[in-house]
Amino acid sequence: MSEKDSFFVGYLPAPKALRGLLLAVCVLFVSGLAGFGLALGVAQDDPGDGAFRFDYGRQTVTGVVELTPYPLLRVTEGNEQIPAGHTLMLAGGGKTNVEDRAIPLEGQLAQVSGVMLQRGALDMLQLRGGTNGIQAAEGAAPEMETIPLGRWKLAGEICDGKCLAGAMRPGRGLAHKACANLCLLGKVPPVFVSTQPVDGSEYLLVTGPDGGHLPEIAYHYVAQYVSLEGEVERRGDLLVLRMDPDTLEVLP
Amino acid sequence: MSVKYIPVQWNANKYIYDAVMLLGVGLFLYVFLYAAPGILSHERPINSQVHTARAFGACAFVMLTVILCIGPLARLDPRFLPLLYNRRHFGVMTAFVAITHAGYIVDWYFAFSASNKYEALLFANTSYGQLAGFPFEAFGIFALFTLILLAATSHDFWMKFLSPPVWKRIHYLIYPAYLAVVAHVSFGILQDQQNHAFTAIFIGGAAAVGALHLLAALKDRRTDAALKADAADWVPVCDVSEMKDGFAKIKLLANGERVAVYLNEGKLSAISNACAHQNGPLGEGRIIDCLVTCPWHGFQYDVTNGRSPAPFTEKIPTYNLKLKGTAVLVHPQANVPGTYVEPVPVPQGGPS
Repeated sequence: MSEKDSFFVGYLPAPKALRGLLLAVCVLFVSGLAGFGLALGVAQDDPGDGAFRFDYGRQTVTGVVELTPYPLLRVTEGNEQIPAGHTLMLAGGGKTNVEDRAIPLEGQLAQVSGVMLQRGALDMLQLRGGTNGIQAAEGAAPEMETIPLGRWKLAGEICDGKCLAGAMRPGRGLAHKACANLCLLGKVPPVFVSTQPVDGSEYLLVTGPDGGHLPEIAYHYVAQYVSLEGEVERRGDLLVLRMDPDTLEVLP
Repeated sequence: MSVKYIPVQWNANKYIYDAVMLLGVGLFLYVFLYAAPGILSHERPINSQVHTARAFGACAFVMLTVILCIGPLARLDPRFLPLLYNRRHFGVMTAFVAITHAGYIVDWYFAFSASNKYEALLFANTSYGQLAGFPFEAFGIFALFTLILLAATSHDFWMKFLSPPVWKRIHYLIYPAYLAVVAHVSFGILQDQQNHAFTAIFIGGAAAVGALHLLAALKDRRTDAALKADAADWVPVCDVSEMKDGFAKIKLLANGERVAVYLNEGKLSAISNACAHQNGPLGEGRIIDCLVTCPWHGFQYDVTNGRSPAPFTEKIPTYNLKLKGTAVLVHPQANVPGTYVEPVPVPQGGPS
């Protein structure tokens, strides 16, 4: 092969001496990209079993509305999926909350309706719009017990409860942090995933120290492996952690 | 070479180049999107929007990695120069793939809230003061806008309009853009990834880009050291016996400019080594049909006056030459671009 034979000019036919190499490069490029597509495609981690449970159908249950300030329903009349005695976190569509609709019903009996999200023992109900989603129910609201469990120091991750429960798969981790923050800014219930179960539960609804929403400082710690302290209380089968933001610490 | 601007001056090689590129990209996306899910043994699938965003993001990274490997590869072995020929189409396609990735991300992670999704992209995570949880989206935004800028200014019109040096500097932004992509991935999905195959491919790709550039730079350094001349009134280039008809010898002058000395039909001529188009190395080209032909994009020049043949208008500087015995000497002062210089005949018995 002479040097002249291998000189390529774009607007002229490719030199014969180069054609074999160029063909090999083309084959390598195309097969390489297909190979990388496969290798990268199958390298994705399992997002877990969390999901919208449309297969359950629309869920309608009755219970007592509580505000933590994130709205909860202490179920008194349940169904097959949501039994009586269960405490259900409530969310709106997308990254929105239902506080405007829940606040007037605080402490009252209400009927809620929507689609369930579920990841293992964690669940949440995304309510339908307007009064179809939540409305006052007839009858007197029974007294609901809140049991203080004292101050705890926990290690784990602050997540937005809705994505974690299956609104997004995957729905946690640092790559998901901005999405989680946006959900939390929308006052979607935050959930702390503890590395060690607390009184039998690894998921805790997390609030501010004074019964307020998640404090602003906590947003910088979302999706990281952190330790924190706070008062834990039991509301039915749901634990609520009133975090102390001064104790937040990133763990290695 | 052109006398008027049209969107693309198609030819057979460009069709082949684009067809192969599109086939590769299409296969990557098809396999990632439709073949991989069947192999994954997930209890429930990844959201299709996330899966699609990842497919386009991964594809953009691989494409950008390949693009950045082409340059140093061609410097290390000129047989790979054909890959450089239509690389800008590759770059434009990469920008479109990256835009698609960003579109899926914004329409998924940053939608569904009461806020504007583009504003949400900027304010949702503001933890700029920490490494873990750093808003890696910022790196992606920078890389995306850079790719769009480079794609939008990739046409020769912009090179002429901005001038080649300015255009070239703007297009060097591809390197900060690639670093931003590396940071985007490193601070993003790599933080969560449990499967290390992805990490290995990512690090391998970025390392290949770095290693090839390093090897090419070392080669250039060695070449420059061999070519570099001391300041003198007349700079020796080589012995005339080393010249080969239709080919050039390159000399690096003390002022940093390179000169290409060609032997054409028994006569010596010297022109600037930098093509007026994209500074391609004319001395590594050939004389075809009595015209010096650039190895990068085939721009041509009359070796005696540095002018492209009519109707084209490109001009490059010429240099004065003389023979001292059998030594070829060049005057380091360049002539005004397009200046005719009488070729220096090689005495009988010289190279053919």
